Amino acid sequence: METYLIPIEDICAYHHVEINFIQSLEDFGLIHTTIKKQSLFLPVDELSKLEQYLRLANDLQINLEGIHAVSHLLDQLQNLQQEITALQNELNYYKQLNQPY
Amino acid sequence: MDYIDYYKILDLKKDASTEDIKKAYRKLARKHHPDLNPNNEEANKKFQEINEANEVLSDPEKRKKYDKYGKDWQHADQLDAQEQQRRQYQSNSGAYSGGSSYSGGFGSDDFSDFFSSMFGGGGGRSSRNSPFKGQDYNADLQLDLLDAYTTHKQTLTINGKQVRITIPAGVENGQKIKLPGYGAPGVNNGPPGDLYIKFNISDDPKFKRKGNDIYIQEEVDLYTAVLGGEKIIETLNGKVKLKIPESTQPGTTLRLKGKGFPVYKKDNQFGDLYIKWQVKIPTNLNAEQKELFEKLSKF
Repeated sequence: METYLIPIEDICAYHHVEINFIQSLEDFGLIHTTIKKQSLFLPVDELSKLEQYLRLANDLQINLEGIHAVSHLLDQLQNLQQEITALQNELNYYKQLNQPY
Repeated sequence: MDYIDYYKILDLKKDASTEDIKKAYRKLARKHHPDLNPNNEEANKKFQEINEANEVLSDPEKRKKYDKYGKDWQHADQLDAQEQQRRQYQSNSGAYSGGSSYSGGFGSDDFSDFFSSMFGGGGGRSSRNSPFKGQDYNADLQLDLLDAYTTHKQTLTINGKQVRITIPAGVENGQKIKLPGYGAPGVNNGPPGDLYIKFNISDDPKFKRKGNDIYIQEEVDLYTAVLGGEKIIETLNGKVKLKIPESTQPGTTLRLKGKGFPVYKKDNQFGDLYIKWQVKIPTNLNAEQKELFEKLSKF
């Protein structure tokens, strides 16, 4: 399936952000961009991540190093939340075993 | 609408400096920012309050009005005009000495619409100038185990709007999915919020789910357990005929590979189905049956 790509210039203009910022996010491995016909594009499924990083930078004045750390911790948080859900469901399974069929 | 104490929200004294307000806002925003508190409605609400407070207190003009008129601060110009008119009247009539400041005389309900129009009906972020993402919506969706077994479409009504969503097979109980852009509209051309749907999957009386595996208990009569035989059982995707080997012990568990629950967002991948045999001991034996069992017991 072909991924929809958004020109980086459009994103920079819409969000009033410098292209350097987006390139720095890529250098930190936080987003992935694609070059096509010598132009830089962002795959559409990366957009929500990019907008989240922009909010962290603009709303909270978090620098790139901070965004990198926050992103890592948010991933961990998400994994832990998923693990809690899975464990709660497993616990529910054992609780059901104690109930008569 | 109740009076909102913006100083209290930002944990500030009335004489706080601009720098104090900025610091307090940043400190609380870092704590309650929705991006740092995913799936936390309480933090989201708190962040909106902090934004409202900061919006008013960080603007000297708005703050002055808020300090003077409290909850009615946004009607300051109107109230000032009334005050001026009153003074004029007093000075003309000469009946009063005047000089007392207007303390506001409207009931708290008089301006409730005003606040909500200013800050958005859903209490969205409150800047008049900066674009802000719309409020995220949260919804719970009740599903049966069988609903979660297949990918299907469902129409939900979210804040009066019909939203048709695809529910992928294999969703877990308690799992949340995000539908970007289905939340409240953005403020000042900001992007719309997102819609988070939490799935609540009811327990099934027969099929017990553990991850992607399904567990069931099936009864088998004593004679089939001893001599062997066949039994047709129901699975989540139809009936299956099973061979029961002779001398099957009570509690023996059989695994049917790939007959369990679909793996979330992985095409053609399924967990396993575990069948635990419960051997049913015959009851109310007649005399002949008892005699036969007695004979057997002597072997």
